[in-house]
Amino acid sequence: MARVLIVEDDSAFRLRYAQMLSDDADFEVIASVGTGGEGIAMLDLRKPDVLLVDLGLPDVSGIDVIRHANQTLPKCECMVVTVFGDEEHVLASIEAGATGYLLKDASPENFLAGIRELISGGSPISPIIARRLLKRFQAETGAVAAENAGSKADDIALSQREKEILHLASKGFNYPEMGKLMGISPHTVTSHVKKIYRKLAVHSRGEAVFEANRMGLIRTL
Amino acid sequence: MAWLVLCATPLWLAAQPVPEGPIQFTRAEFTQAANTDPLSHPPATADWQETDLPDSWRTQGRNRSQIGWYRLRLSLPAPPAEPLAIYIPRITNNVAVYVNGALLGKSGDIAQREISWNVAQYFKVSPGLLKAGPNLLEIRLHPDGYARAGLSRVFVGRENEIAGQYQWRLFLQSTAPQFITALLGVMAAFSLAIWAGRRREIMFVFFGLMCVVAMIRLAHFYVRDSEIPLYYLTDASLCWMSALTASFMLHFAGRPLPTFERFLYGYAALATLALWFTPDSLSHYVVTGVFSLMALISFAMIWFVGRALLATPSFANRVMCAGLVLNVGLGIHDFLNFQELLGFDHLYFLPLGLPLVLFAVAALIVKRFVDTLANYETLHFELERRAEERERELTLSYEALRDLDQQRATAEERQRLMRDMHDGIGSHLMSTLALSRMATLSQHDMQEVLADCIDELKITIDSLEPVESDLLVVLGNLRYRLEPRLNAAGIELEWAVNDLPPLAYLDPENTRSILRIVQEAFTNTLKHAQARRITLSTGVDYNNARVWVRLTDDGRGLSPGQPSGRGVENMKSRAEKLNGLVEMVPLKGGGTCVNLYLPLAKLV
Repeated sequence: MARVLIVEDDSAFRLRYAQMLSDDADFEVIASVGTGGEGIAMLDLRKPDVLLVDLGLPDVSGIDVIRHANQTLPKCECMVVTVFGDEEHVLASIEAGATGYLLKDASPENFLAGIRELISGGSPISPIIARRLLKRFQAETGAVAAENAGSKADDIALSQREKEILHLASKGFNYPEMGKLMGISPHTVTSHVKKIYRKLAVHSRGEAVFEANRMGLIRTL
Repeated sequence: MAWLVLCATPLWLAAQPVPEGPIQFTRAEFTQAANTDPLSHPPATADWQETDLPDSWRTQGRNRSQIGWYRLRLSLPAPPAEPLAIYIPRITNNVAVYVNGALLGKSGDIAQREISWNVAQYFKVSPGLLKAGPNLLEIRLHPDGYARAGLSRVFVGRENEIAGQYQWRLFLQSTAPQFITALLGVMAAFSLAIWAGRRREIMFVFFGLMCVVAMIRLAHFYVRDSEIPLYYLTDASLCWMSALTASFMLHFAGRPLPTFERFLYGYAALATLALWFTPDSLSHYVVTGVFSLMALISFAMIWFVGRALLATPSFANRVMCAGLVLNVGLGIHDFLNFQELLGFDHLYFLPLGLPLVLFAVAALIVKRFVDTLANYETLHFELERRAEERERELTLSYEALRDLDQQRATAEERQRLMRDMHDGIGSHLMSTLALSRMATLSQHDMQEVLADCIDELKITIDSLEPVESDLLVVLGNLRYRLEPRLNAAGIELEWAVNDLPPLAYLDPENTRSILRIVQEAFTNTLKHAQARRITLSTGVDYNNARVWVRLTDDGRGLSPGQPSGRGVENMKSRAEKLNGLVEMVPLKGGGTCVNLYLPLAKLV
């Protein structure tokens, strides 16, 4: 049973999420809070398996809550709940350490399926985000990798397979189709996407370190 | 001192006190004899007459076809202990000098075409040749047939006293003109080289040629071979020099006088011809005539050229004018000297003064040249500064333009979004609200309308994402949005896309139009076709320069009086605005095919 923490300032949605999750035997809502501060406190206190977080919180940004979770609870799956699943919000979340996202208007089935998928190791991706990721890795991995030591670069750079997945995803293919085209299971595809998200987070941290290095803030890596 | 006891006196001056330093002979005995060479002495019966030194044969009316002999007497109390020397500033044309009957030396040989008219003479007298008491100094003068002949004063003295005088005279008469010739050559080359690079600055030609002609003129003062053709040109060159000087100065002043210049060149040409064809025996008279006229013309030159120069009385022009006057002055001085009106052994000034003038002129040219360069640099700097300024202005105006552009783009985007909100979601929500107020809307319908609104909103949001001309991303994202609803309706979506070339016109507005068309096609199928399966495929038709997006379903197909008439009309008009086309084709086994064609390149 997965222990879920909900951080959402809209009480209607908070209730709806809690309702959906408690109806399912696989999930247990350990806390449901309305501010980022409370969310961070609950992360420290209850150490959930899954974090569902809204980005537009009244006190701190949902991004900060995700970052905190990612740093203190590496095993916690962070999921953003957004209205539109638009590139800007989703990418910022992934960079902070989120590995999945849900749409607020998703049907209960889709909603729960998304969380289950995430727990079992897979992440969703939209064509626009796939394309955006391809661009970012192509443009920036080189520069950042060159600054970091060799082994580090491997962690950040995309594998050939991952690139292929992003290519297919950007053309609108879904996971079963991609799996068929690549001769792998849909589940493998989705777990690759999750790995890509992790790399983006590392990548982003790398960029931050790279920037800090350049400004002389950090002497050694 | 030995020199104190040396008493040298022509016998008719025996009573005079012995002078300190070199003795200057201003009188001599003279006789003439037939030219019976080699170097025969005059007969004992010869008629010796006293004469003054310098002695000009022309002034004295002597016979120029005969040899002349001068006799000078030198009385010494004792034989000199040191070597003495004889120095003669000018002879015309060759002399042979004897001491007590022994030949000391010769200046040159007329028969060998050697001329010595401007060459100072210096003969060493070894002590053994002179004795105590009277000594006889004889000078044999061989005229060259020209009008001019004669002997200047004669100096006798100790070598260390007299050599300096001699060398100074030699330098002024022969060596200096040679140096100056070399310098003139450099100046001529320099000036003509400037002209070669700047053909329009004709004054450099005049100056260069002026230098060349001056070189020819100077040859007259040191070339000793009277037969070379150059020698005939040296007199005429003076006329050319005047003409070129006038041209140069007039162009320097920027006020050419073509007629006057032509007259000067004409005169120079005429003088050249006249002098070239005149026999030697008459040349003196022709030269005199040519130079006399030239002197008169020189005054005209001062008048015309001087006026042109002083019309703009700048420093350079005034210096130039002074140079002209000085030149004419020197020329007239030399002409008078040539006429032996200033003494037989007087110096010629033009060879010495002319270069001074030319150098001054050269300095002025260089100054003007440097000033021009400086001006040019200033101008260049000024131009650069202006260009920079202009560039700055351009940058500013460009930035302003860009700002304006951006503002306009933002405004347009805002208008578009407003229109979307107003016509789409806004009116949707309004009508929903109205219907729900009338309580005619079921909860299911209400949910559907709201879901439509949200879909509408998502399309608007997605159309704002940068898709970089990639239509597949746009379609893929639509699928991503719609698939949950299709799945919920039990419809399977087959994705059979082929790669598409970039479509440069996919800006938010056009993207939104395409999304609406495709979404409408999906919605129609969803609502009316009762399809189980929808296939979306894409491809390129290069022959017709278009891409196509095809939606086929396995539903019940089109039937007349389809309720979705308005939606189809919207699709078609949207496609037309994109220069595209929407076709709806019923399929044989039931179902419908919707084809959307879009141009490869931007619609005009």
